[in-house]
Amino acid sequence: MQITFTRTVLLTLLGAGTANAAPCERTNGGQIEPVLAAVATLQETLTAPQRALLERPLTATSATQWSNLPLALVPRAGLRLGDLDSKQNAAARDVFAAALSACGLALLDEVRIADDYLLPLDRNSIGWDGRNYYLSVLGAPSESSPWMLQLGGHHLAYNLVFNGTQPGATPLFFGTEPIRFEYQGRSHEPMNAQSNAMRALATAIAAHARARLPGTYTDVVKGVQVTFVPGQRPTGGTDTGFPHSYPTDAGERGVPYPALDEQQQALVRTALRSYASLPGAAISQPLVEAYESPAALRETFVGYSGAPSLDARGSYVRIDGPRLWMEFVVQPAVADRTQNHYHALWRDKQADYGGELSR
Amino acid sequence: MPRSRLLAATCMLAYAAATAAHHAPNSFVRLDFRERSVKAEVMVPLSELGYALQGTPTVDAFPGYLLRHMSVTTVRGAAWTVKVTSVHAMTYFDQPYFRAEVELAPPPGGSARDFVLTSDAVTHEVRNHVVYVVAERDYADTTLAAAPRLLGILQYPVRQLAVRPPRG
Repeated sequence: MQITFTRTVLLTLLGAGTANAAPCERTNGGQIEPVLAAVATLQETLTAPQRALLERPLTATSATQWSNLPLALVPRAGLRLGDLDSKQNAAARDVFAAALSACGLALLDEVRIADDYLLPLDRNSIGWDGRNYYLSVLGAPSESSPWMLQLGGHHLAYNLVFNGTQPGATPLFFGTEPIRFEYQGRSHEPMNAQSNAMRALATAIAAHARARLPGTYTDVVKGVQVTFVPGQRPTGGTDTGFPHSYPTDAGERGVPYPALDEQQQALVRTALRSYASLPGAAISQPLVEAYESPAALRETFVGYSGAPSLDARGSYVRIDGPRLWMEFVVQPAVADRTQNHYHALWRDKQADYGGELSR
Repeated sequence: MPRSRLLAATCMLAYAAATAAHHAPNSFVRLDFRERSVKAEVMVPLSELGYALQGTPTVDAFPGYLLRHMSVTTVRGAAWTVKVTSVHAMTYFDQPYFRAEVELAPPPGGSARDFVLTSDAVTHEVRNHVVYVVAERDYADTTLAAAPRLLGILQYPVRQLAVRPPRG
């Protein structure tokens, strides 16, 4: 508990820990040189066993080992942030600051604080804890060869590939429980920017005849997959479904972007940027340009299910382009089943894992 | 039961319960391969069934719903007989479920060892819903009961699965 308190104080001093209220439009970071320098500095602070935890091979198995389930359900590999001393913690934070945008870094802080909030409610010891977030470097950090920075825990999975065949910002999963809360005298709403953007979009398009997606959604569709066999311990919980197939029938995809008016189209772009601005701009800007190209937007669809206000479980919003796939869903909370919580997922149909994995 | 096995079983149940709590609950089709027929135990979570029905599920209406959304044929397309013999409400890892026992019988002279299962129960509506099809018992393979095997999953838009017991 002492470590948690210390980390929270540190985040507060660094200016994090406030509600993520501003639209997530500030972008920076992701340039290869600062990221490499920060990783090298972090490596110098670590013991040999810690370096062995941090540095892992870039394989399909290691890359897809992210999850949105708590640690006790899906063990993570890598360097546990809660085990770092203050110098190592500062060096790790420099890696995050180099790789992520200011909004992406704030989301990391906020999601970890949400897990700290849940810690006293963890009666089944399933691992809610802001310390249970892990960092891995997959492959050898290089200016030219592919390697991957994997950072995540219960409600966050950053999978950033450098020097990949494609810009590597995805898969990017994020979620929060609770949706908003008070913790140590401060207000928090980790996904305020994304929920506001998706709510505004769903509300704006709700009157459109083709906007309501067929079906019901009680979780993201292209997320991790748990395998249940009755009588046995569930397995999986990672991205075992990769590579995924996606809907091709226009009737399953919502309303086409060209059918929206200018204001609605602007809301689509705001919503997609609220996700795409989380990794550093050097990583995600080429993707945003691809998603917002006239040719791509002509083939982009948006749709919703449930309540456009996103105040009911089963509410769902999706942006689905030639390569873009962004989901937002409202689910029952786990700690308090009377409340709801959010899951969100950004995938790229061509560039997941930097286009470096094939199965 | 030895204490170590009891502890392991308890841990497994706690793990599975926690997993279920964090994941939208899914359905199961648990198969018992017999000499001339197959017994299927179909378990469907009421939360997701409610979305599929767009209303409150009832035991009385469930057999009709299941038969509208589940069929079995030979690999060449000849229909099997599908009969719901009982339905019960149950709790599975803290989630309310309906559990139906279903008798599957091949056409006269047909093999009961392989068939095509078609089912879109719940998945016709809930896009993230998964049905796990599991081989649990086989009269010709008594080892199966100790280690049931996942035969496949059904998730929208996939609604068909070719089924054979693990040891054919």
